[in-house]
Amino acid sequence: MKANKLKTNDLILQFTAKIVFFIIFFFSIHIFFAGHYTPGGGFVGGLLTSSAIVLLVIAFDLKTVRKILPINYMYMTATGLILALATAAFPIFVGKPFFTHFFDYFDLPLFGKTSLHTAALFDLGVFLVVVGVTMTIIQTIGEDE
Amino acid sequence: MAFQILLNFSLALLWMFLGDNFTASGFIIGYLLGLAAVLLMRRFFNGRLYTERVWAFIKLTFLFLKELILANVAVLRVVLKPNLDMQPAFFKYDTTLTEEWEITLLSSLITLTPGTVVVHVSDDAKSLYIHAIDAKDVDETIDSIRNSFEKAILEVSRS
Repeated sequence: MKANKLKTNDLILQFTAKIVFFIIFFFSIHIFFAGHYTPGGGFVGGLLTSSAIVLLVIAFDLKTVRKILPINYMYMTATGLILALATAAFPIFVGKPFFTHFFDYFDLPLFGKTSLHTAALFDLGVFLVVVGVTMTIIQTIGEDE
Repeated sequence: MAFQILLNFSLALLWMFLGDNFTASGFIIGYLLGLAAVLLMRRFFNGRLYTERVWAFIKLTFLFLKELILANVAVLRVVLKPNLDMQPAFFKYDTTLTEEWEITLLSSLITLTPGTVVVHVSDDAKSLYIHAIDAKDVDETIDSIRNSFEKAILEVSRS
């Protein structure tokens, strides 16, 4: 980054980024939940969410995005790891082997008959780790100092 | 505008509750009845009816499709000409639009119709710098943009 860089008016890019961010974010959530039966899952969903945030970083800058999303990505990574480990370790306490998954069918309002699976919680851990690690790397590289 | 749409939705929900009919068809019937009520009470709203804006937006869409086809034919003519006598030009276009989304929409429409590309938005967002592939008459190009796209966008955004 050159210090004497001219400030240009990125009006079109910024406005488009604001709208496209939501589209990418929704698509990443869809991909995350589609992971059980169709292609998708925690890793791809996490990368898509990171790409949505990176788009904002490109359109605005790191400082602004940090103000908009005041998230400590280190804590996010740690939370994801704890969640994945807890999901894997929980069966030990009920006398099942490590990493046994449970699932059952529940009648949820709005959704109807839904199969809830603990693998989704593990996937959520993966999701958080991927977003946290990617954003940590990009923030660390992107800083001017 | 937003209030009118919200009112229409509320009336549709009210219709669903009155008839105990929580289906998509019940919602649509309620929405149409609500639309009739809003049309009936149009003198009570300050500002335009939202249906006019929706109609203006549909007209803008069709205008864009028409311009897209016409401009593509024009570019095809330029490409297939045996002698290259086109005159590329950069020119400044002063816009009367103020909102961010209006300027973005206008720029996208200008860029998507072939032959013209928006290269830069000025810092005060009052003018666009446009490159035209064949601008025999710059003023004519400016007038054509002003009378087609900008007028249609203003038609949509007018309160």
